[in-house]
Amino acid sequence: MLRIEHLSCGYGGPPIIQDISFQVKEGEKLCILGPNGCGKTTLLRALAGLLPSNGTVELMGTSLHTLPIRQRAQKLALMSQFSPVTFNYTVYETVMLGRYAHQTNGFLRGESAADRRAVEESLRLTGTWELRERLVTRLSGGQLQRVFLARTFAQEPQAILLDEPTNHLDLRYQVELINSLKSWSNAKGHCVVGVFHDMNLALSFADSILLLNHGQVQSYSKLKDFDLSLLDKIYHMDIRGYMAASLQRWT
Amino acid sequence: MKYQTKMAALLFAALAALLFGIGIGSVYVAPGDILSILANHLLHTPLPKGLPVSYPAMVLNMRLPRVILAFLTGAALAMGGTVTQSILQNPLASPFGLGISAGAGLGAAIVITFGLTAVELGTFLLPGVSLGFSLATVFLVVFISSHLDKGVSNVTIILVGTVFSMFCNAVMNFLAASSPAYGERIQLWLLGSFSMKEWNAVCVLALITAIGLIFFLFYAREMDVMAFGEESAQAMGVDLIKLKRTLLAAIAALTGAAVAFVGVIGFVDLIAPHIVRRWFGAAHKKILPASALFGGTFLVLCDLAARVLLPAREIPIGVITALLGAPFFLYIFFTGRKGH
Repeated sequence: MLRIEHLSCGYGGPPIIQDISFQVKEGEKLCILGPNGCGKTTLLRALAGLLPSNGTVELMGTSLHTLPIRQRAQKLALMSQFSPVTFNYTVYETVMLGRYAHQTNGFLRGESAADRRAVEESLRLTGTWELRERLVTRLSGGQLQRVFLARTFAQEPQAILLDEPTNHLDLRYQVELINSLKSWSNAKGHCVVGVFHDMNLALSFADSILLLNHGQVQSYSKLKDFDLSLLDKIYHMDIRGYMAASLQRWT
Repeated sequence: MKYQTKMAALLFAALAALLFGIGIGSVYVAPGDILSILANHLLHTPLPKGLPVSYPAMVLNMRLPRVILAFLTGAALAMGGTVTQSILQNPLASPFGLGISAGAGLGAAIVITFGLTAVELGTFLLPGVSLGFSLATVFLVVFISSHLDKGVSNVTIILVGTVFSMFCNAVMNFLAASSPAYGERIQLWLLGSFSMKEWNAVCVLALITAIGLIFFLFYAREMDVMAFGEESAQAMGVDLIKLKRTLLAAIAALTGAAVAFVGVIGFVDLIAPHIVRRWFGAAHKKILPASALFGGTFLVLCDLAARVLLPAREIPIGVITALLGAPFFLYIFFTGRKGH
C-alpha cells in the first residue's frame, strides 16, 4: 500500500500543494485530476522524493523519503512528462537503463540474466520489442512514450507514478498503454498513480480519483462514488454536457 | 560493424597517426626506422645500418614526446568533452564553457607577467599554477551554482561558467595589455603548442589521462542514465547532485591538466564526441575509450599539419583545430536543421 499523509511542498516560496492525504492499495490504480497549475506534477515529484516535502510518504510500511535514493528507486518509479532525447541510444539500451537501481556498482559492470529478462518482458508488454535495435532519436513521439513506459516497467518497482503518460499517443496506443498498465498492475499486484488530462481515459483506467485544485484535495473517492458534477465547478465548464455532445457524434 | 572491429580500426588509425607524426618533419624517418629506434631503446636490439647518428636522439627526445603529448592532450580533451556533453545533456557543450580554459589562462598570465619562479617546481610551475587556477575556477562555478540553485541545474552551471570565463578572460587580457613585453608570450601560450615539452610533462599527463579514463568508465552507467534528463536520472536512483560535482571536478582536473601543459586548444572536445557517437552509439563504456583514441589521433594529425603546412614555420595548433572546427559546426548545424 502507498500511504500519503498531510503532504505539503513547494519550490521555495508558498507551498504549491498542501495537506494532501490518500492511500493506494496493492493492485489499485489512482488517477489525479485537476486543471493546469493545480499541483499534479508537483505532487508526483514530491512523492518521488525529487522535491523536499513535509508529511508522510510510505510504501508497504517503509518511509520512502528516509531511504537512500537508489533503494527508493527500487520501490518507486516515476515516468516524467518530459524526458530529453539528446543522444543516439538504442531502444534496448534505453530500457536497460531502467535496471540501474537493481545493479551493483563496479567498473564496466555488465547486465545480469535478471536484467535481460526484465527488459525483454517490459519491451513485449509495451509492444516495443520489434523496435529494440532502433535509435531512440529516430522514433515517433508515441513510440518514444512506449519506450519510456517500458523503461519504467523494467525498473520493477512496487509502485509507479505517471505524469501524463498518454502524451503524443494516438487513440489506439493510448488504449494499449492503459491496458498495459492495467495488466502490469493486476499481474504484479502493484499500485499505479497517474496524472491524465484526458478524462475519458482517466475514468476508464482508475479505481479511485483524487481531484485537486489550487494545491488542495477537492475530492478523494472510489470511481463509483466520484461526483462528476465537481468537475464542472473545478474546470468552470459544463463537462458532462460537453462529453454528452461528443458522444452524440459517435451514435 | 561490431564494436570490437571499429575499435581495432581506430587503434590502427591511432598507431598509424603516431608513426606519421613521428616520421614526418624536417627530415623523414621511415616507420621501420622508428620502430627500430624504439626497440633499440627498450630492448637494446641493434639499430639499422646506415641510420644517421642523429636520428635516435631526434626521435626519442624531440618527436616522440611531442607526438605522445599531442595524443594525450587530444585524448584528455575528447573525454572531457564527452562527459561534459553528457552531464549537461547538450551535444554542443564544452568543458571550456565551465571556465576551465579561462582560469588556466589567467594562471599562466599571472606566472608570465609577474615572472614567478619556484626552484622546487622548475618547469612545472606554470602548468601547476594554471591547473590550480582552472580547478579553483570550476570549484567557484559549482559552489556559486549550488547557492543560486539548490538543484544545481545545467542552465545555472552554464550561465555561471560563462560569467567566470568572461571575468578570467578580462583579467588575463588586462595583464597582457598592461605588460606589452609579455602580451605576445601570453597570446602564444593561449594558442597552444606541443613544442619544447619534456618527457616529465608527458609522464604527468599520461598518468592523469589514464586515471581520468578509468574514473569516467567507473561512472559510465550513471552518465548513460543522466543523458535522459535530471528528473529521470533521480527517479531511476542516481544521486544526481553528488555525481555532478564529482564528474565536474574530474573534468576540471583532466581538461585543466591538458590546458595547463599545452595551452588552449579548442574544438577537439566538441568534434571528437560528436563523431564518435555517430560511429559507436551513445553508451559511455564504448564512447569513452573511443573518444580518447579518436581525440588523440585527431590532434596528432592536426599537429602534423601545423608543422608541415608552412615551410620552416609552425602554425599554432589552436589555429588548425579552429580552421577544421568552424566548418564542422556549420555542417552539424545545417544537417541538424535538415533533420527537423
